[in-house]
Amino acid sequence: MDNVVASYKVGDVIKGPVRYMTPERIEWYDSGMLSAAKGELAQVGANIHTDDEFARSQGLPAVIADGMIMTNWCSEMMVAHFGMDYLSRGELRTKFIKPVFLDETVSVFAKVLTIEPSGNGGRTYVLDVWCENDKGVKVTDGHARVETGGRTRSAT
Amino acid sequence: MLGGYISDLEAGDEFKPVSYVLTAFMASEYAHSVEETCEWYHSPRSPTGRQMRPPTMIHVDKMRILEENCLKERRVSGEKGPDARVHYEYYARQHSPAYVGETLTVSGKITDKYVKRGRTYIDYYLEVRAGDGRLVTTYTDKTLLKYTPEGE
Repeated sequence: MDNVVASYKVGDVIKGPVRYMTPERIEWYDSGMLSAAKGELAQVGANIHTDDEFARSQGLPAVIADGMIMTNWCSEMMVAHFGMDYLSRGELRTKFIKPVFLDETVSVFAKVLTIEPSGNGGRTYVLDVWCENDKGVKVTDGHARVETGGRTRSAT
Repeated sequence: MLGGYISDLEAGDEFKPVSYVLTAFMASEYAHSVEETCEWYHSPRSPTGRQMRPPTMIHVDKMRILEENCLKERRVSGEKGPDARVHYEYYARQHSPAYVGETLTVSGKITDKYVKRGRTYIDYYLEVRAGDGRLVTTYTDKTLLKYTPEGE
């Protein structure tokens, strides 16, 4: 993995997961988040992510996916490529610029913007990070920054 | 104002910190919920020999601290407020991993609350520290308090 990260050049595009948005994926996240907060299995109730009628009562056209699903898919890409360096001293920023509806396919990408030497003898990578739907419309926009150390170990 | 709904929070409000022990279930269940198969989140089979949590779990910490500081709207307990909020921005900086078995303390405050195009936004700053004082995550967050603009 060291060699893969070391081979990245400015302008390189990294591809993350490509996933179709389903009610199950939305429910998995919301229930998983609740379960993690409670420390025991929990089931999400009706909210703007899980219930069309409730979503419409809040002014939305239909249920929308929780933006943190896309953030987690971006994070998955980052840990797969930058490993412990991302978990130890990485940063990730995501803005949910358009809602993601059911039956949209979401693709995750990053593009290397800059690579600079870092103080510890490694490198600092700054990347554009984004998700787009099957029409090529950006739905999540952001950036990541990772300082690599003496060694970078992949998570995969 | 603390103690009410999330929409009652104001810039400058400082949350009462929340502490909890990170369990294997919490880390693995959260990772599982987003199909994250990285083994490091599911078992001690990691470069450090310890199971760690996904860094995005700062979002769960936000829920925890709101649960304890906004007593009229406790989402974990199933108590809703008058309006659904829409998360707009996530910005997490990692300073070290958090490991299963560690006591984590979440603290933070509201840094801003403002109206833009008829919609009210609220900005958070949170940080997470491990029991040994180690900084784990610093986080800023922007959330829309109500999707429908005022007056519509």
